[in-house]
Amino acid sequence: MKRMLRSVIILGVFVIALSSIVSAQGVDSLVFGLSGNPDTLDPQKTAGTLTFQVVKSIYDTLVEPDQSGKIVPALAESWSVSSDGLSWTFNLRRDVIFHNGQSFSSKDVAATLNRIMDEKTASPKRSDYSAIREIRTPDAYTVILMLSQPYAPLLATLASGWSAILPSGLIASGHNFAAEPVGTGPFRFEKWIRDSKITMVRNDRYWIKGVPKLERIELRIIPERAVQVQGLAIGSIDALEFIDPDDLPLLQANPKVTIKKELTSLIMVMAMNCSREPLNDLRVRQAVNYAIDKQLVLDVAYGGGRIGSTFLDTGNAYYTDFSYLYPYNPEKAKQLLKEAGAGNKELTITVPQNYPLHVKAAELIQQMLEKVGMKVKIRLVDWSSWLSIVYSEGNYDFTVIGHTGKLDPDGTLAGYGAGRYVKWNNASAASKINEAAKIADFVTRKRLYTEALEIMAKEVPFVYLGTPYRYVGTRSNVVDFRMTYNLDTYDFRWTELR
Amino acid sequence: MVRSSSRRLLFSLSSLYLLLILAAAIAAPHIAPYSPTEQQLERRFHAPDSHNILGTDELGRDILTRIIYGSRPALVVGLVTVSIALLLGGFFGLLAGMGHNALDSSIMLLMDSMLSFPTILLAITVVSFMGYGLVQVMLALGIISSPVFARLIRAETLSIKTEGYIEAARALGTPTVKIVFKHIVPNIMSKVIVQCSLTFAQAIVVESSLSFLGVGIQPPDASWGLMLKDARNYLIQAPWMAIYPGLCLALTVLSFNIIGDSLSEKFNPRLSDRL
Repeated sequence: MKRMLRSVIILGVFVIALSSIVSAQGVDSLVFGLSGNPDTLDPQKTAGTLTFQVVKSIYDTLVEPDQSGKIVPALAESWSVSSDGLSWTFNLRRDVIFHNGQSFSSKDVAATLNRIMDEKTASPKRSDYSAIREIRTPDAYTVILMLSQPYAPLLATLASGWSAILPSGLIASGHNFAAEPVGTGPFRFEKWIRDSKITMVRNDRYWIKGVPKLERIELRIIPERAVQVQGLAIGSIDALEFIDPDDLPLLQANPKVTIKKELTSLIMVMAMNCSREPLNDLRVRQAVNYAIDKQLVLDVAYGGGRIGSTFLDTGNAYYTDFSYLYPYNPEKAKQLLKEAGAGNKELTITVPQNYPLHVKAAELIQQMLEKVGMKVKIRLVDWSSWLSIVYSEGNYDFTVIGHTGKLDPDGTLAGYGAGRYVKWNNASAASKINEAAKIADFVTRKRLYTEALEIMAKEVPFVYLGTPYRYVGTRSNVVDFRMTYNLDTYDFRWTELR
Repeated sequence: MVRSSSRRLLFSLSSLYLLLILAAAIAAPHIAPYSPTEQQLERRFHAPDSHNILGTDELGRDILTRIIYGSRPALVVGLVTVSIALLLGGFFGLLAGMGHNALDSSIMLLMDSMLSFPTILLAITVVSFMGYGLVQVMLALGIISSPVFARLIRAETLSIKTEGYIEAARALGTPTVKIVFKHIVPNIMSKVIVQCSLTFAQAIVVESSLSFLGVGIQPPDASWGLMLKDARNYLIQAPWMAIYPGLCLALTVLSFNIIGDSLSEKFNPRLSDRL
């Protein structure tokens, strides 16, 4: 007993000593839990989210999304588009210096874009730039992009992580950006110890004065969810970008942890195969929409959110609310099913089993549909089977899934109305979506998208469950940790430790 | 003497428990307080009380009801698995035991190579090919469990085959099929029954594991493994979700093993006085 007491005391002292070391170290250095190793730190050679989450702090782009998803100036002070939409002129900032001391100019923009468009770079995002016919640099601080056809999503492409501007000198000398990134960003890359951590230090010559506020960032690589949560709870990490709703009670009970609830850019849906009996009948799809209590599904399965009404994230600037169309009304659903003479055929909800939240949503929906007299069963498949059976082949009745929101609505909507995995055909919607991609003017674009989205809202190839919240956790002394939801990246520029 | 009476008590308790589970499985719709898929969403994560004796899960489903219904796939999987394994294993075992050397060694090579795979891994592979679900799980488990029976039956057949009475029957011109069913099968039955109870227990565990991994019984159907899978994320919030199905599963497997052990001691002539 005595011996046990002694070891408990020793252990206690050890823990206290350890925690004081941790907090002493963390005065102006932020420790962040990263869910895995990025495959590379070269922004132009990958499509991996982890890479962009890391390099967001090292590089800048010509333009960038603000907190609301609106595209605002960054390395380009301003831009203009010619009336035919074929020539985009960017005026660059004059006070920007790369981490290696080189000054930023139009040469770097041209070299970077040429690098992405070069087949040898093998960028998975290369096709995003295919509209660019020619890059002109009339002077050191002006870049003109000449397009072969109007292409409005270009601005979103230039605001995305893969358009990070690299120094032309290092591009020419064949620098290894994959292991040693050099940019104009708020933090300078220090080192990357694989499976352990990535460290960055403040760029004192950053072009926004007084920013960044942190001296150092340590991105600690922690793949295991339980370890991340424990780390935040005991203070070995300062911020965590995604907290599973199931872990909330544990962290909310901790006074040293602050949980912030924010709307994501995800679009949670139950897709319906419009080419199959009886879902090819609009009345049946409407009935399914009436039968489902969307708010309840969001609350129980996804930890809360804002219900949707059409195929865009509810926080998007192009989103219009049509939720008056199909409110929760099981009686109406029964009536429509009766009219359509449907309800006898057993239908299947195919769900990827590696996403427990979607499985839970499917279980809720199954009960709701059975209550209005439909026969529904659930089939779990693994992720690769889901991608081939459901998403590529369209061999399913219902599926529950989340679409990640894109910076430009074209990324979400392209191809709908002319098939895609819901097999929904509507020439009018398809042509509006196509046309909108060619228009740069926000108001005209929004009008076209609203028309297309209204058709999608009325014809319901999906049940638009809505956009869930995301829970971001920080220690209480962390101030202003921001996320850019459309890109799924974090912005440490404004973050402070108090 | 003390040991023997406590063993007898354990045997009786195990049999009683299994009879109870069997009765629950058969009479499930009559004794379960709710429907296994009925969601009382206003009572999610409810701790055990008078409405829900063992509490509710994350969708407000009654845990007791789901445990009662969960006994059905467990017992069905056990029964069907053992039957398939016994048929396949028995056939190949007898064939190898009675057949020529070449036939014997080729059959046993096949069986040994199946034995060399870990059960779960092989089960997942088979289920991935045939699709997820109860029928697939039973088929997979039946096939995978057959080599154990084949080995056992072959070994017993080989040792009995040289007994005097078999030689005598053969000398009298009795057909081989008759010898197998009249003399060999009845004499190896005791050991086979013991193996049946062990395989039964193993099948229940593997079914639960497959359901836990998401490739077995499909939601929203009730299965003990599936209940544990759901419970895993709520261990702190709602421990009853894991405790009761886990306990039920453990006791069922334990009971089968105790019965298996007791039977094997009973059938072993040197230990038979102990039971």
